[in-house]
Amino acid sequence: MKNLKKSCALFVLFVLLCSCLGACAGGATGSGTSTSTNSAPAGNSDVASSADSTQTKSEKGVAAKTGPENAAPEADESKSANPEPGQKELHIGILQFAQHPSLDNCREGFLKGLAESGFVEGQNLTVDVQNAQADMGICGQIAAQFAGKKLDLICAIATPAAMSAYNAAQSKGIPVIYTAISDPVAAQLADSDKKPLGEVTGTSDRLPIKEQLSLIREVLPDAKNIGILFSTSEANSVSMLEVYKKLAPEYGFEIVDSGISSSSDIPLACDALLKKVDALSNLTDNTVVNSLPLILSKAKAKNIPVFGSEIEQVRLGCLASEGIEYISLGRQTGAMAAKILRGEAKASELPYEEIAEACLSVNLQAASDLGIKFSDELLARAVEKFTEISSANK
Amino acid sequence: MEILLGILEQGLTYAFLALGLYFAYIILDFPDLTVDGSFPLGAAVSVSLSLAGLPPLLTLVAAALAGAAAGLCTGLIHVKLRVKDLLAGLIMQTALYTVNLMIAGRSNVPIFDRDTLFQNTRMDAFLPPSLQPLRVLIMMLPLVILIKLACDAFLSTQAGFLLKAAGDKPSLVCSLAHDPGMVKVGGLALANALVALSGACVAQEQRFFEISMGTGAMLMGLASVILGLKLLESFGRLRETTKVILGSVIYKAVIAFAITLGLPPNALKLLTALTFLVILVAGNGQMAAHFRRLFGLSKTCTESKTQKEAKDA
Repeated sequence: MKNLKKSCALFVLFVLLCSCLGACAGGATGSGTSTSTNSAPAGNSDVASSADSTQTKSEKGVAAKTGPENAAPEADESKSANPEPGQKELHIGILQFAQHPSLDNCREGFLKGLAESGFVEGQNLTVDVQNAQADMGICGQIAAQFAGKKLDLICAIATPAAMSAYNAAQSKGIPVIYTAISDPVAAQLADSDKKPLGEVTGTSDRLPIKEQLSLIREVLPDAKNIGILFSTSEANSVSMLEVYKKLAPEYGFEIVDSGISSSSDIPLACDALLKKVDALSNLTDNTVVNSLPLILSKAKAKNIPVFGSEIEQVRLGCLASEGIEYISLGRQTGAMAAKILRGEAKASELPYEEIAEACLSVNLQAASDLGIKFSDELLARAVEKFTEISSANK
Repeated sequence: MEILLGILEQGLTYAFLALGLYFAYIILDFPDLTVDGSFPLGAAVSVSLSLAGLPPLLTLVAAALAGAAAGLCTGLIHVKLRVKDLLAGLIMQTALYTVNLMIAGRSNVPIFDRDTLFQNTRMDAFLPPSLQPLRVLIMMLPLVILIKLACDAFLSTQAGFLLKAAGDKPSLVCSLAHDPGMVKVGGLALANALVALSGACVAQEQRFFEISMGTGAMLMGLASVILGLKLLESFGRLRETTKVILGSVIYKAVIAFAITLGLPPNALKLLTALTFLVILVAGNGQMAAHFRRLFGLSKTCTESKTQKEAKDA
């Protein structure tokens, strides 16, 4: 027994040691100096391995080769000089709050946007991707670690991630760029004129609700009540719902909402809601969207159309949506980040952006199931027309 | 260095959570699920009072009181209504979800524009620039030491001994002409006050309240407690409360290691789970005994320290 205890204690001590070494090594490579190789003469293998793995998905070889050549790029230098993309090795961190198709798309789009602006991962950019797995404690810790590494920029995906990142990075002067936040003003990251309240800016995934409501009116001229399911725990949903309620009367609709606290509440809430409404409209609520197949099958049984809030939902069988497309949102964010990395603008000088225009997508299979015919005019402006209902994501 | 500082900061802000669970789980032998609700309760109270303009320290006191009330309810449900310990905690945890939303108003409330415990004009004026990065440490360290000393002092009073006995040998409490049930209720109130205090500190540090911040709080606290008690077992001279606080820091270091390792994001939770398993198997709680039986290992396990101490009492 004693041996077991001792070995466990030893194991944990070893883990601790590794973490300290890894932390030091990570910090050193983060600041771009070439000291990382000689910072710890003893235990080289440990240092190397943890430093390697620090940079998830990054080409360490490139970093090591270019490392000694550039003379420790400081954040200030990169702003004052006029650096060509490709000259310096920049190090950014991406803090994604949870694993989720839309958020994954944001991340992909963000890297694409950066690449289009000349910052290519593995060539002149090291990217450290971390996912908090929807755990607030871990989220805060990743943010603190990013701030400690003195990165050139932190990209935060989803509201809690942005708030944690901003809180940790603010005192260190690291710019934070966020995406997939519905309401940056409510999150106190920007004022009502879209001006940032610190070195923090980005893009908002505020839904084009006006367009969505007019779409519903166009497709269903006689509809009265629109049902919306939302999680009480998701700030984005609550604020979007308020907008819905405010705008609905203009289009002659009444919003019937139903709040849930976990995905297990959805079947009952959905049944109750479907009795009262002529159509359902989705928010970007994570819990609800993850249960979309269930909601769609229940609605189909009652012949009630479901409108989505983004293209992925229409692919899964929602009738139509005037929504956002997260890859382009991420791209837009990447372009903003590139401006900051090049030193063209400070994060605090860039107002946060919303998606440039709503993108209409329709599902023709869902329409024929419901016996609904889209007008030619509507079909003509649809960006994406799905002819079948896909059963899985992508 | 920066990352070590981060670990220390995080460990200290979560130290009261570990202390709370030390009271609930180790001393009272009560697996208190209320914690997942009382942790964000502290945060909600602190954030909404901050928004109302109260000084940060006062909001911490209010948060602790709110936590105590939550613990009191759990205790009464368990003792007076005779609901099993796990279920009593679960009921309160579920109820607190709504209470927290009601207190905070919505699921995510920022206080970026307010003075917090760690970011306020008074500190800006007093601290020299070189000490600015240490502001969390400068506030938390005295606070943690103060509360720790208070806990130590409390545990050596008669009430403290009664508390230990209530978890270990309720009949002893009866023989001293006290109601073990009510002692338990008091202990749970104290434990949850500490947990809510931790939630308030975390909210002040991260400068926002988020309804999901309590998810996994109990596991986190429990892991810290067992990690601290087990790993530092050989340091006999350290008090258990000190070990628990150090355990919280060690736990954060382990998580930092997992993050630094850069595993595929999906593997993070698995690593956390495995760490828990290792800690629990090595720990001296009921789980350890269970595992020993499971693997048919010798039963000559040493008696847990708390049991000894309670007997001494």
